[in-house]
Amino acid sequence: MKIGIPQSLLYTYYYPFWKTYFEELGIEVVTTPATTKSIIDKGVKASVPEICVPIKVYIGHVITLLEQNVDYVFVPRFVSIKKGQYFCPKFMGLPDMIRHSMEGVEEKLIMPFINTKSDNIADAFKNNIFGDKFPLNHKQNKRAIEKAEKIWLEFREYSKKGYSIIEASAIALGKASKEAFQSLNQKKIDVTIGLLGYVYNIYDPFISMDILSKLREMGVKVKTFEMLEEEDFNRQLKTMPKTLFWTFSDKLLAAGYHFYNDEEVDGLIHVTAFGCGPDSLLGKLLELDASIYKKPFMTVRVDEHSGENHLQTRIEAFVDMIKRKKLKVQRGA
Amino acid sequence: MQDIYLGIDVGSVSTNIVALNNEGEVVHSQYIRTNGQPLESVKNGLRELKKNIDQNTNIKGVGTTGSGRQLVGVMVGADVIKNEITAHATATAQVVPDVKTIFEIGGQDSKIIIIENQMVVDFAMNTVCAAGTGSFLDHQAERLGVPIEKFGDMALAAERDVRIAGRCTVFAESDMIAKQQFGFSKGEIIRGLCEALVRNYINNLGRGKKLEPPFVFQGGVAANKGIKSAFEKEIGHEVIIPKYFNIMGALGSAILAKELMEETGSDTNFRGFEAADLDFMPSTFECGGCSNNCEVIKVELDKQVIAMWGDRCGKWTNSL
Repeated sequence: MKIGIPQSLLYTYYYPFWKTYFEELGIEVVTTPATTKSIIDKGVKASVPEICVPIKVYIGHVITLLEQNVDYVFVPRFVSIKKGQYFCPKFMGLPDMIRHSMEGVEEKLIMPFINTKSDNIADAFKNNIFGDKFPLNHKQNKRAIEKAEKIWLEFREYSKKGYSIIEASAIALGKASKEAFQSLNQKKIDVTIGLLGYVYNIYDPFISMDILSKLREMGVKVKTFEMLEEEDFNRQLKTMPKTLFWTFSDKLLAAGYHFYNDEEVDGLIHVTAFGCGPDSLLGKLLELDASIYKKPFMTVRVDEHSGENHLQTRIEAFVDMIKRKKLKVQRGA
Repeated sequence: MQDIYLGIDVGSVSTNIVALNNEGEVVHSQYIRTNGQPLESVKNGLRELKKNIDQNTNIKGVGTTGSGRQLVGVMVGADVIKNEITAHATATAQVVPDVKTIFEIGGQDSKIIIIENQMVVDFAMNTVCAAGTGSFLDHQAERLGVPIEKFGDMALAAERDVRIAGRCTVFAESDMIAKQQFGFSKGEIIRGLCEALVRNYINNLGRGKKLEPPFVFQGGVAANKGIKSAFEKEIGHEVIIPKYFNIMGALGSAILAKELMEETGSDTNFRGFEAADLDFMPSTFECGGCSNNCEVIKVELDKQVIAMWGDRCGKWTNSL
């Protein structure tokens, strides 16, 4: 049996779990390549025009998998991974959007209900997620979950050490050694930037135009939300009169305040997809508070367009501003 | 024998050239319409510059900025290639040393820059939409049949206020058409348009930022007195328009080149005025080496590839 996983939305955050789990069950895993122009074009054609770009990208990936003749496509329904909090409705209704926009696709979807107490989604796989599509042996399932959980937790540890999600994933899955990634031991780092954004925006090289690598090339150390500990989030969220309703938005908000309070971080960049509802609150809250912490905050808004010049100019100017400011402080001292 | 430093700002609408002497004074400046041909306009600018300066002039350093900074940087042999924010702020901090807020409206982008002690501490640039920039005004001028140069005077002479929706230029345009049908004069419509543009600008870029005087307004649109007066009305404070308001990017990049060359003492990479007669051929191709399909920009000089960029992995950039 061949199962396809779209390389989009929460893929980067959960791929080590999903891949390990399916392979332990003896299922072949097929993934789409990183988003390309043709994938996004397919998605745009098949989706309603008003929807945000990450969902269009996801639909493009699903179509790409169906064209590759996989037996099933894995489209999880993310409902909640924290008590009292939910996902953006587009995540909760994702399988429905897919099955209603493509005829005859429903029987090819494996769509588990993800409703767990924490980021660790292992519990959601305890009951048979396949229905009668796959002969699941209870014992084998338990073993596969344990292995997947272990790999995923390792992956999270690498993230917390400062590896990008792509790097952490490769290390945890044994595809690369830690030494392969030099970025952590750069000689001279003079600027540190807190890069805020959902994993499907930051790590999709098409959507964010690989902003993380661009920053690193400029000699910037990049910190992202998934590099932080759970306690870091809780400490920030505790001080707020009210938090957001969406788990990942909350994590980003907490990460933002953590970066504002982190002496090492010189400035924040928020990457957001045009029309993102949760981000309209998140971005604004952080933007309004930037002056309290005296750190620059910049919003980079991305959409289907692929012009790289604008992004380049903005991040160059942002990094330049910080570098020149630091240089002046040094000279003055 | 005179030493000069050049600054070249290649924007979407205009290409500007500034020459500074050792004392940092502007000895020559040009404002040229780009007309979609950045290389040609720079070549023309260089020829014009050569005609206008002493033949014994020694070019000590060159800086480029603007959206075409990289391409033109390769062509002229720039020593400093810097983004527009840094260039603009550098120039303003020199001309108005105590500046705190810069409003800059160019052909296709607009920015707000917050300065503290002559350092950029914050900035914002228009995000996905070019609403309310110079190109939009150009377009409306054409539609109303009014030369853009007359916009300012007509706006100031208007008698009545008319409110035009400024959130989006598409809506602004339909609103203008409606208001014309209500019998408002062209001047009044233009004034309404200027106010809408400024309202939109402040709401989009200035929100959440502490805007403090002195305010400096620059960029090509600063030539428009109607916009200046709309700014003053909106923020309730005088707005300074510097002498070289429409070439501040070029001025800043010349200053940056001067600073760098004086600091390092190295020789300039400038190709000389002959650059204007060399045959530069920029072209673009899709790499296809992996699924990224990067658009790679290639610049050839006499059929020799002299620069490539745009590839994410560096395969082409590093191949030279």
